[in-house]
Amino acid sequence: GKWRNKERVLIFSSRGINFRTRHLMQDLRTLMPHSKADTKMDRKDQLFVINEVCEMKNCNKCIFFEAKKKQDLYMWLSNTPQGPSAKFLVQNIHTLAELKMTGNCLRGSRPLLSFDPTFDKEPHYALLKELFIQIFSTPQYHPKSQPFVDHVFTFTVTDERIWFRNYQIIEEDASLVEIGPRFVLNLIKIFQGSFGGPTLYENPHYQSPNMHRRLIRLSVAAKFREKQQVKEVQKIKKKGSKVLIEEDPTEVVFETPAEEKPVEIQLVKPESKPIVKDKKKLRKFQRKKQKKFFRTE
Amino acid sequence: MARRGSLSDSDSEGSSLSDSELQEAFARGALKPGLNVVLEERPKRRNDAGGLKQCLADFRQQLAWVERLDVTSGQVVDPASQGAADKDAVDPENDFQREMSFYRQAQAAVLEALPRLRKLQVPTRRPDDYFAEMAKSDQQMQKIRQKLKSKQEAMERSERAKQLRAMRKYGKKVQTEILQRRQKEKKNMLNAVKKYQKGLSDKLDFLDEEQTSSQGNKKGSASQWIKKGPNAKRRYKNQKFGFGGKKKGSKWNTKESFNDVSSFRSKVAHNKGPGKGGKKALNKRPGKRARQKMKSRAR
Repeated sequence: GKWRNKERVLIFSSRGINFRTRHLMQDLRTLMPHSKADTKMDRKDQLFVINEVCEMKNCNKCIFFEAKKKQDLYMWLSNTPQGPSAKFLVQNIHTLAELKMTGNCLRGSRPLLSFDPTFDKEPHYALLKELFIQIFSTPQYHPKSQPFVDHVFTFTVTDERIWFRNYQIIEEDASLVEIGPRFVLNLIKIFQGSFGGPTLYENPHYQSPNMHRRLIRLSVAAKFREKQQVKEVQKIKKKGSKVLIEEDPTEVVFETPAEEKPVEIQLVKPESKPIVKDKKKLRKFQRKKQKKFFRTE
Repeated sequence: MARRGSLSDSDSEGSSLSDSELQEAFARGALKPGLNVVLEERPKRRNDAGGLKQCLADFRQQLAWVERLDVTSGQVVDPASQGAADKDAVDPENDFQREMSFYRQAQAAVLEALPRLRKLQVPTRRPDDYFAEMAKSDQQMQKIRQKLKSKQEAMERSERAKQLRAMRKYGKKVQTEILQRRQKEKKNMLNAVKKYQKGLSDKLDFLDEEQTSSQGNKKGSASQWIKKGPNAKRRYKNQKFGFGGKKKGSKWNTKESFNDVSSFRSKVAHNKGPGKGGKKALNKRPGKRARQKMKSRAR
């Protein structure tokens, strides 16, 4: 057949990404035959430069990975000339190469896309769904694609995040094995334009990783400060003025002195007590044995 | 940890909080014990529903389903699960439950899409002679297979070791049981013999008992065992060390034992027998008087 749906996706990243992100990018390029690669973008350039890069490469979609602080990974999905774009925080990345992902699929085969019913309930999710469909589905009769449909991408909304999984279809009865990669997208904002423009949606559940780390630090510091404060309060209490209690005259009322005993002087030596052998006391050699045994135990 | 901050957030509008306000807040349960961290909250979150819908309308592509291959579906209803209500209760922290929910969603999608694809004559099964490049290289798949195999082997090994240990324990148990049974039988036998000897019972039933009981347990080997008796080594040891317990009363200076000269070997006593290799003759040491005489003579 003729290849009509001319979708091309540009997948590239900024500088400062780590190995996991690089592998994820490569995996996405492997799985999507309608993708194109590009060199790393310099940090100095602004984001709307990406639109020009895409135009030069003749791509109409873009996946851009941005790494900050060598820790946080952000992903931009955009429809480049004029369409909407979305920024996500990516977490929990597992790549194709992990040995627990035992499935395999044809290189360039077309994926089936599966969405959660939640995607139809909110307008921002509906827009995201449309964006995902247009980016991730391989066009039919694409020259690099294989005609079989043997794997499925799932997008699920759980815990205010979007979870991505990739499964291989083994049998017609829908037994699946995971191929990978897998990641979690935390939506930050949706913009009307590509890499800019007015904000259409802001995720209220999103907390920037910096804020998250700051909160953890603050709570630890707060715990410590609290302990110190408690200690200081205790110190002050201890040092505080000791109140002098006056003598109570009624205290001695119930005191009765003991009777005086007559002084007895002993002139005769008291009788010696009969020596009663303590049968429970062990003999000397038995005691020694016990000690020895105790020592060697 | 963030909870500490966000709860105090609600009453940190003013610059200074009076004690009474704090007390009220605490009574309400808005404040948790410990130091509260104040969070600044962003004033508003943009949610332009109209704009989103407009954008979607502009952006949407009118393509045939076969180009997009998207399926929106709930999950395959598991007979073990409670049904549709279960979906909301999927705990994101529970990894297994979460992954199972994703799996079920994928299954539902596949079950829905495959018939449609078949109708549209899009192939879903790769024929066996179709060789093409796969997403993961053969090397990678080999590594995966190796890992799985090694895991399985390790599990099998541990299972076998466990079984062996269990069997050994069981074997030991069985052995002790058998030994105890034998000892019991022997005791019974001896008691029965004694009774007969003492004349309490003049029935020779115990012989028959033995036959029936032994036949009941093991037929051939038991009779053989009784014939041979204990091992030769065992017999020697019994002779040397006794059966234990009986040693004490065995050597009394009774009239019988005194008059019993059966263990007297005259040849041995007078040193006239054929010496075993002539050792005795060689090692014959002179007596005390003879040695002293030699010594005094030597001086």
